Amino acid sequence: MKKTTRVLTAALIMFFAFAATATAGQVYKLGFSGAITGPTSDAGNPLSKGIEDWFKYVNDNKLLGDDKIECTIRDDQYKTDVTKRNFEEYLDDGIVFYLNYSTGSTLGLKMDFEEEQMPTVPSSYHEGNLVDSTYIFIPVATYSENMVALAEYVVKNHKGGKPKVALFIHPSAFGRGPVEDTKKAVAAGLNMDIVEVVEHGKDLDNSAMLKRLMSKGVQYVICHTVQSPVATMIKDAMRLNVTAKSFGEPGKLTFLGAHYTGGADLIALAGDAAENYYWTCSYNLTTEDNEKSQKQLKLAKTYGRDDKAANSHNYAAGILQAQIPTQAIIMAKAAGLEVNPANLYKMLNQMNGAKVFNSFAAVGPVSYSANDHVGVDVVNIYKVDKGVFKAISSIESEYMKKLRAK
Amino acid sequence: MTYFFQIVVSGIVVGSIYALAALGLVLVYKSSRVANFAHGQIIAAGAFITFFLTVDLGVPIFFSFLASMAITFFLAMSVERIFLRRLIGEPIISVIMVTIGLASIIDGLIYLTPFGTENFSFPPFLPDTPLTLAGVSISWTQLVGVIITFILIGGFSWFFKKSTVGISMRAVSDDQFGSMSVGISVPRVFGLAWATAGLSAAAAGCIIGNITGLNFDTLHAFGIVVFPVVILGGLDSILGAVVAGIIMGLIQQFAAGYLDGNWGLNGTGDVAPYVILLIILLFKPHGLFGIHEIERV
Repeated sequence: MKKTTRVLTAALIMFFAFAATATAGQVYKLGFSGAITGPTSDAGNPLSKGIEDWFKYVNDNKLLGDDKIECTIRDDQYKTDVTKRNFEEYLDDGIVFYLNYSTGSTLGLKMDFEEEQMPTVPSSYHEGNLVDSTYIFIPVATYSENMVALAEYVVKNHKGGKPKVALFIHPSAFGRGPVEDTKKAVAAGLNMDIVEVVEHGKDLDNSAMLKRLMSKGVQYVICHTVQSPVATMIKDAMRLNVTAKSFGEPGKLTFLGAHYTGGADLIALAGDAAENYYWTCSYNLTTEDNEKSQKQLKLAKTYGRDDKAANSHNYAAGILQAQIPTQAIIMAKAAGLEVNPANLYKMLNQMNGAKVFNSFAAVGPVSYSANDHVGVDVVNIYKVDKGVFKAISSIESEYMKKLRAK
Repeated sequence: MTYFFQIVVSGIVVGSIYALAALGLVLVYKSSRVANFAHGQIIAAGAFITFFLTVDLGVPIFFSFLASMAITFFLAMSVERIFLRRLIGEPIISVIMVTIGLASIIDGLIYLTPFGTENFSFPPFLPDTPLTLAGVSISWTQLVGVIITFILIGGFSWFFKKSTVGISMRAVSDDQFGSMSVGISVPRVFGLAWATAGLSAAAAGCIIGNITGLNFDTLHAFGIVVFPVVILGGLDSILGAVVAGIIMGLIQQFAAGYLDGNWGLNGTGDVAPYVILLIILLFKPHGLFGIHEIERV
């Protein structure tokens, strides 16, 4: 009798164990490597929080049913060699999708993504990521699209003759890439003069540069760098009384900047000098106080983020970067496909038409195809008004489309 | 001419701040012959301590500034006591390697705080309107920065020339064993050199932070940016640091004002100081005010 009871108990345990396994759902492993500390961590840190929170939200709210996403987040301190090591360890771990961060490491690992056939969404929106690459999917408009869109906005709104523009850029591939595309746009017919391209250093005083630009008749300075040098420059411009009070004010400088040159951090650094600064970004800002931003703030509150992270456009960037693979997984499951890198890659390439993905983090829909690996094509133009960025226009760069078509 | 004078004023402002930031490196080198690669981190720490005291604890900024200088004084002294004192008499390269390690440790510690990854600015405490004379303008931040720089540099110069401790520090710098034989406490002098370097670093951090905003990456980079100033000045000369700082500031501004954007040149404002540094070192290998030591064999 005792023996029979033992056998029955063992059989029951085995049954329930198998049953539990069958209903536990799948775990899909993803990896993110980014600058949570180190240079550019002012962007990378809130971005990583956005990624973390979105995946928690997916699991907590069972967006994938019983399946779960397990995303390992590692700090690479903006060092490409560390990023590469992280990526290799994620591969050994069996990831189905990879999230990368910097321009340098995305360019550096581009061939690895191809060899491993690993769909990758980077935080870098460098146009060069797309060259000779099929596995990289950029979430939003590229840096070049941001800069050319600003140039187009200047041309469209400038009064009287050809606008004279200076480009103020980061001394790196990240800064130089968009300059080349802006020059190509001018060569293709964009009616403006690029008077000068200034690569900044660690300047404590930009008086000489600003006076020089003024002496050459420059009216617009388009920036493509990070916030700190822009903040120093616009503070100097305010001191020298050369900042335009309205767009294109004659004899003054109107400052405009692409993606990483703006946001709440610029206002934190530049204070009043940021007033009337124009900025392009594909993310919805919480200062817009719309339904989208309320969702972002709710997510941040759910996971205990402070106001600074919750209101950061980099937090929104992290959310979108995590939403893209989530959506690909949802599409693969709906199509009855196994969730693996090959199928997720296939799903991303089909994310168009009726299958576009609308995110609360972005200002436009995310769409990809085999020939288009840029997600959100629209950028909003924001302007600092009484200490906050407010949207004044939306734009899709016509010239970048023309350049790409060539 | 307004353009020219604006560049001169900007060059002097930038150069003075370079000199103040370089001062900490000079003080440590002067007493211990060590190039401190953690200097930038101490500059950043000074700026963030002031910010924390002012914004988070509500201490008036003037007192925060003084408190921050006092804190970094003791912080740098502790660093010397804990990490460097036991290396007295060891090869200089070992000590330099320790300062590189220290830089990483302080980096890591600051990254654990919100100050490592976010941007801040000091609450405005000086008038917004710049001072303008004949079209040449200078902001209050810059003016106050220059005044503080010259007060501190004047104070340190007096200290080294006239005070007993300062003279002891110079003696240690010249000959450690000789100084010990006449009863000077070399470890105490080292500690004091680090402490005063910390004090000047905090002042530099606050001034730079007021100009550029508070970003850890930007602030700690100044520890390296001012190395050419120290080398040009002659490594262990306070006067050298001041003269070299102003030369560097002026060259940078003149290059940015007159060379950049012309004849296809760009970024000369950053490169020109190094070119001039190399040229001067060809003729004066010990820098402008460096001492050429003669050894009898």
